[in-house]
Amino acid sequence: MSTAITRTAADRQRQRKKWVLAQRAAPFVFMTPAVIFLAVYLLYPLVSSFRLSFVNWNGLGDTAVFVGLDNWVRLLHDGVFWHSAWNNILLALFSIVIQLPIALVLAVVLDEASKGSRILKILYFIPLLMSSVALGVLFKNIYDPNFGPINSILDAMGLYGWAHDWLGDPRYALGSVIAVVLWQNIPFYMVLFLAGLASFPREITEAARLDGASQTTIFWRLKLPHLQGTFRTAVLLATIGSMRYFDLIYVMTEGGPENASQVMASYMYKQVFASFELGYGTTVAAAMFIIITVIAAVAFRLSKRFETEV
Amino acid sequence: MQFKPSRTFTRLLGSAAVAALVPLAAQAQETKTITSWDLRSDTTTAGIVRDAMDRFEEANPGYVVEDSHFANDAYKTKLKIAFGANEPPCIFASWGGGPLKEYVDSDQVVDLTPYLDANPEFKDRFVPASFGPVTFNDKIYGLPAENTAVAVIFYNTEIFDELDLTPPETWDELMNVINVLNENNIAPFALANKNKWPGSMYFVLLADRIGGPEAFRKAAAREEGGSFEDPVFIEAGERLQELVEADAFARGYNGLDYDVGGSRRLLYADRAAMELMGSWEMATIRNENPEFAEKVDFFTFPSVPDGKGDPSNVVGTLGDNYVSISSACPYKDKAFELLTYLTNDDAAAARLADQRVMPLKGITTEDPFLNKVLEVVGEAGSVQLWYDQELPPALGEVHKDTVQQLFGLSITPEEAAAEMEQAAQAEAQQ
Repeated sequence: MSTAITRTAADRQRQRKKWVLAQRAAPFVFMTPAVIFLAVYLLYPLVSSFRLSFVNWNGLGDTAVFVGLDNWVRLLHDGVFWHSAWNNILLALFSIVIQLPIALVLAVVLDEASKGSRILKILYFIPLLMSSVALGVLFKNIYDPNFGPINSILDAMGLYGWAHDWLGDPRYALGSVIAVVLWQNIPFYMVLFLAGLASFPREITEAARLDGASQTTIFWRLKLPHLQGTFRTAVLLATIGSMRYFDLIYVMTEGGPENASQVMASYMYKQVFASFELGYGTTVAAAMFIIITVIAAVAFRLSKRFETEV
Repeated sequence: MQFKPSRTFTRLLGSAAVAALVPLAAQAQETKTITSWDLRSDTTTAGIVRDAMDRFEEANPGYVVEDSHFANDAYKTKLKIAFGANEPPCIFASWGGGPLKEYVDSDQVVDLTPYLDANPEFKDRFVPASFGPVTFNDKIYGLPAENTAVAVIFYNTEIFDELDLTPPETWDELMNVINVLNENNIAPFALANKNKWPGSMYFVLLADRIGGPEAFRKAAAREEGGSFEDPVFIEAGERLQELVEADAFARGYNGLDYDVGGSRRLLYADRAAMELMGSWEMATIRNENPEFAEKVDFFTFPSVPDGKGDPSNVVGTLGDNYVSISSACPYKDKAFELLTYLTNDDAAAARLADQRVMPLKGITTEDPFLNKVLEVVGEAGSVQLWYDQELPPALGEVHKDTVQQLFGLSITPEEAAAEMEQAAQAEAQQ
C-alpha cells in the first residue's frame, strides 16, 4: 500500500512538473506560427532588402554586382532623395496641424448632434471609401488649369491672378497634392476620435451642463483630456502614414513636375521600376525604413513623456 | 515472406510512376498554355490580337493562348516584376531599345534570328529598318507587330484656314504661326507633359534637325567624340526654351496627363491649334471625336536654321510594338509560330482596317491619312527611336527629367546637357 501511495504521490508530482513545463512551453508553442510568419514575411524581406542595398542590380537575372557602400554614399549626396524626405516631413506636419484638428472638431460636433448625424457621418466618411486612384483622376480634372472647376470659378469671380497651374507648376504642385491627401484622410481620424468620444460617459456631460458649464468648457476641460490617448495614437499614425505615403501622389503627379511633389516612396518606385535600378531603389527603401523607425521612436517617446507630465 | 516488402515497394514505385505520369498524360491529351501579355488595352486592338490567336489555336490543336492586356504604364511595371521574379509570360510586347536590352542581357529573351533565317520569305516582308530597335549584337529579339508610329504635328485645319496660316516648313515660319495664334488667343501647342515622353519628342526632333541622327548615336554609343554636352543638344535645349518663352504651349503643360486626354481636350475645345504627337494619335482622335477628326491634318517638324539634320528625317518607330519570346517559355517553337500568326498578312490587314500600318514592304491603303504617314516614312532619311526607349532605362529617365526641367525653365540647356553627360558616363562605367 505504502509503495502504491508514494508512487501516486510521485506520479502526481511528476505530472505537476509536466504541467508546469507545458504551461511554460505553451506561450512559445502558440507563438511559433506568428514568429514563423513574421520571420518569413517581415524579417526575411527586411534583411534581404538591406542586403540588396549593397549591390548594383537591374532586378533581372544574375547580374547583381556587389558595390559595398556606394549606394549609401550616393544616397547621402542625392538632393532629390532629401527633398523627397523633406516633403514627407511637410506632409506629416500638415496632417498633424491641419488634418487632426479638423477631424477632432468634426468628431465632437457629430458626437453632439445626435439628430441626423448618421447621414453626416456617412457623408463625411465617403472620401475614405473611394479608391485613391479614382480620387487622383477626379482631382486631376478638378485641378485642370484650362477646364477644371477651380480655375473656372476663380476666373468667373474675376480673380484671374489666383488661377494657377495647380499640378504643373513646381511652386503649387506639392501644396495641391497635400490638400487632397489631407482631405482624403480626415474621415479616418474622425472615426478614431468618434470611437474615443463614444467611451466618454454621457452622465458627466449632463452633470457638467447642470452645473452651468458651457459647451466650450465641456470640450476643453472634459472631452479633450479624455481624448488624450486617442490623440497621441492619431499623431503617431499620421506621422508614420505620411512618411510612407504613395498612391494619391503617384496618380496625380508621379512626384513631378521636376520632383516638386516627390516623396520617398514615389522616388523609390521611380528608381526601381522606371530606371531599373533595383539596388539603389532598395537603398532608398532601406533609408525610408531607418527614417520612419527613428521618427516613430521619437514620437512614441515624446508622447510617453507627455503622458507622465499631464 | 521476402515478397512482402518488395511488393509494397513495387506498389509504391508503381503509384509514384502513375503520379508522375498523370500530369504528363494530362498535358499531352489536354492543353499546353502559351501566355501572352501586351498593352492593347482597347477592345478593337485587343480583338485583332485575339483573332490571330484563335487562328493559331485552330491550326494547333492542344495549344491554348492565354492573352492579357494592360494599360501602358501599368504594363511596364508588371513586365518588370514578372521578369524579375523569373515568371515572365511566354510572349510579350515591348518597344525594343534600352528596356528590352536589359531583359536580353540577363538571358531572358529568345534570339529569333535562327527562326527568321529558317523562314526567309516571312522575314523579308518586313521593312529592314524596322528590326533596328530589337537587334542587339546582330541578333533579332522581336518582330514588329503593331504600327508605324512617327512623331508629326497635328493641326486644326479650320483654325489655320480662318487665320490664313499654312503649315510651317522652317523655324521662322513656325515662330510666325505661334505669334499669330497667340495674338488670336489660341494656344499654339497642346502638350501633356506630366508623362514626360510627350515633351521629350520636341527635344529629340530638335536635336535631330540641328545635328542629324549622328550626334545622338555617337553620344548614346559612347563613341569617340560623342557627348551629350555636344553643342547640338545645348542648341536643342535653347530652341526648346525659345518655344516656351514664345508661349508656344497651352497653360499647365507640365502637369497635364496624356493618358486621360489632357492635351487632346484642348484641341477638341479649339483652345489649342497643334499637337506634336505620334501618328497613333489620329486613331485615338477618330475614336474619341470623329467629328473633330475631319478637320485634322498633320505636317512634319520644320527645319532649323543651319541645321545639319535632313528635315525629312523622322522620329518614332517602325513597329510600335514588338513581340518577343521569353526564355522561360516552355514551347518556344510553337511560340514563334504564334508570333507569325500575330504578324502575318491577315493580322496586318486587320490592323490596317484599324488605321494602323505594320512596317511591311509595299503595303497599300485607301486611307489618305495613312498614305501620308507612309509617304513621310518612305521619304525619311533616317528613323530615330524615341530617346527614352533607345537609351538604357536609368539614362532615359534622366533624359525625360531634364527635358521636363527645360520646359519648366528651371534649368539651363548647358546644365541639362551636363547632367545627361554625367549620367551617361556613370552608366558606361557600370
